[in-house]
Amino acid sequence: MAHGDFYFTINATFYHFTERWGGQALIDYWQALGREYLQPLARQFEEGGPAEIARYWSAYFAGEPGGEVVVSQPDAGTVLIDVRACPAIRWLKESPAAALHPPVHPMYCQHCLYINQAMLEGTRYCFELQGGAGRCQQVFRLSSGGTP
Amino acid sequence: MIGVQDFIRYYDWTFEYLRRHHGEAAVEAYWAESIAFNSQNHANVLIQAKGLQGMAEYWGQTLESEAAGYRAFLGEGYYRIDMYDCPSKGLLIRLGQQAYHDYCQHCMGWIRPIMDRAGFVIDHEHNHAGQCWWEMRPPTQHEPPAAPPPIRDDHDVRLRPSWRQPMHDLWLGSRPIRRQ
Repeated sequence: MAHGDFYFTINATFYHFTERWGGQALIDYWQALGREYLQPLARQFEEGGPAEIARYWSAYFAGEPGGEVVVSQPDAGTVLIDVRACPAIRWLKESPAAALHPPVHPMYCQHCLYINQAMLEGTRYCFELQGGAGRCQQVFRLSSGGTP
Repeated sequence: MIGVQDFIRYYDWTFEYLRRHHGEAAVEAYWAESIAFNSQNHANVLIQAKGLQGMAEYWGQTLESEAAGYRAFLGEGYYRIDMYDCPSKGLLIRLGQQAYHDYCQHCMGWIRPIMDRAGFVIDHEHNHAGQCWWEMRPPTQHEPPAAPPPIRDDHDVRLRPSWRQPMHDLWLGSRPIRRQ
């Protein structure tokens, strides 16, 4: 399993963008990640459908240190990711070296929203997020008219 | 979510994003400021407080946890790392990903500012193939030295058949001597 200290680097990167160029620059970076870097994953989701989305995120969160996440499919067109304890927020707050680093970036939780929404542009899916600060619900849903 | 399991790929991509949108100097500033003294502040604190011993504590733990193929030791007046199989560069090579043109440079990019602040200099060479060596030491009156340090022992990465590659970057006394 990868070392959780990389969460410090992710958090530092978010601070780097906002301290130098402002919040919109950070959002632009996240959207570029979704529109460019993560396009292979968008195609994977398009081809594999909701079952593949559920499989991917279940495996992904299982590979992160310290999270508590349950992935389910409440219906054929929906994938619910119930983040009961976000591995990143937990590490940034509770790991041994947490006191030596800045607090969780105030926009930290928004990266899931902006990256996934940008990644899914042009696909049959939409992404919704509710909650934050270490506990949230993320939903990948077939847009109206889409078929699984 | 940006996780830690595939972080290296995001990291490499982020270097290139910064270069493309803000220029090469912005990449170096990212390493020198936000990586050195924010992301890696736990290393910074150890090294400022304990010097060479702090380096041994930091890299001993970090490289082991990253499952790196390496050896490191505290010599007489220096701390040395021989990296035989860098886990992050190795991953990028295996995946065929090279978003940024010089991924290996990021280590010098964040380590040197910490060493500058702590009063140490770095001799370092990497071969862009996942292998490198480092020696951190107090500066002498004559920097940079005229030549790299001698082969230290049979485990020196420079003795490996795979060490010699078309491109090698070399720093002595924290100054770039040869970059290709």
